[in-house]
Amino acid sequence: MVPQSNLNNMKIKGHEVDFKYIAKVIISIGIGTAFGLIVYGVFLYFHIAIFGWNLGLIFAPLAAGYAETIVANRILGKNLGAISAFILFIDTVIYSFILKNDTLGMNLITAGSILVILQAAFPTVINYILLVVIGAVVSNFSWVFKRITAFLKKGKSHVRWETKETEIPIESLYYDENASNERINSLNFYFLTSTDMQDRDHELLGIYQSEVIIENKVKIQLKNDEREKKHLCNIKEGKDKCLIKLANKIKSHGGNGILDLHIQYGLIGRGGDCIHITATGMGINIIL
Amino acid sequence: MILTSSNTLENKKVIDYKGLVTGESLIGSNIYKDIFSGVRDVVGGRTTKYEEELEKARDLAFKSMTEKAQNLGANAIIGLKISYDNLGGTMGNTILVTAYGTAVKFE
Repeated sequence: MVPQSNLNNMKIKGHEVDFKYIAKVIISIGIGTAFGLIVYGVFLYFHIAIFGWNLGLIFAPLAAGYAETIVANRILGKNLGAISAFILFIDTVIYSFILKNDTLGMNLITAGSILVILQAAFPTVINYILLVVIGAVVSNFSWVFKRITAFLKKGKSHVRWETKETEIPIESLYYDENASNERINSLNFYFLTSTDMQDRDHELLGIYQSEVIIENKVKIQLKNDEREKKHLCNIKEGKDKCLIKLANKIKSHGGNGILDLHIQYGLIGRGGDCIHITATGMGINIIL
Repeated sequence: MILTSSNTLENKKVIDYKGLVTGESLIGSNIYKDIFSGVRDVVGGRTTKYEEELEKARDLAFKSMTEKAQNLGANAIIGLKISYDNLGGTMGNTILVTAYGTAVKFE
């Protein structure tokens, strides 16, 4: 005689399957689904709706999940995760939106309700789309988060936000590059990138270096292209300052030129928030 | 305009050192370009868009540098140096292209 317990169990592909357990699961889900459908029917019959939106769409899945959980706890000793609520969600959506969609009007309530149902069915995905995707897109185009943080830091922040009322001409943000080049070359100082000065007599003074640190960001509100231009201008201004500093250093030691000049740019600070500009070379005194 | 990375020009004598000339350009981060380059990397394509942008940025830096040399009355640039530095930090790609050299007038 086969033991009673073995009648309920069977091996499929090497795995033991408990049919009694599966039957209990199906019963729990079935009762939950049936109860949900009854609730939905009641809501439909009595037209319990707001602005054409039947509240059964929200309450029927809740009722199904609730009933399934009670039954599953009784006969299985644990809940099944409200599978019938999900089934009801699919049923009601198919019925309302596909079979009987003429009862619904497309308005703000309908759109909001669709969102609520989707959020209940797929919380992680919908929350991610709402908070991360939409939030990031809105933030990128409206600078909303930057404005909030700027507002919170108001008073202690050195960030200056330009508004339309205090807008200043774009041209005034940039300096004249040719004028700057002339200024650098009118310091009575020879900046030479070559390592030699052909037949000019000169005295070597030693290695000289100067550095300037500038911030790696533009603090004023500009469009992307203008922001990039301003950033480049800041770097160029930093480089000019560095060269002037270097020339002054060598001049103070009796020199009037530099050989093998190298200008380097690097990032320093937390997350590279500053640009470190260095100018290095061999200080010389050219005998004129 | 002759550009050379060497100290001298073959068979030519430098008669005047006009000064330092520099040219810089910046390739900013572009989210769409980054995304498409990333996609092309995944599907096995080459990120030619970036290469084109780098080339453009280098040309711009060279143009700016040679214009300055011409303004100084030079006809060559010696000791030419070119460098590419990533200034993006943790935020991605911002590449600074710099070209600089000594503007000279030769015989």
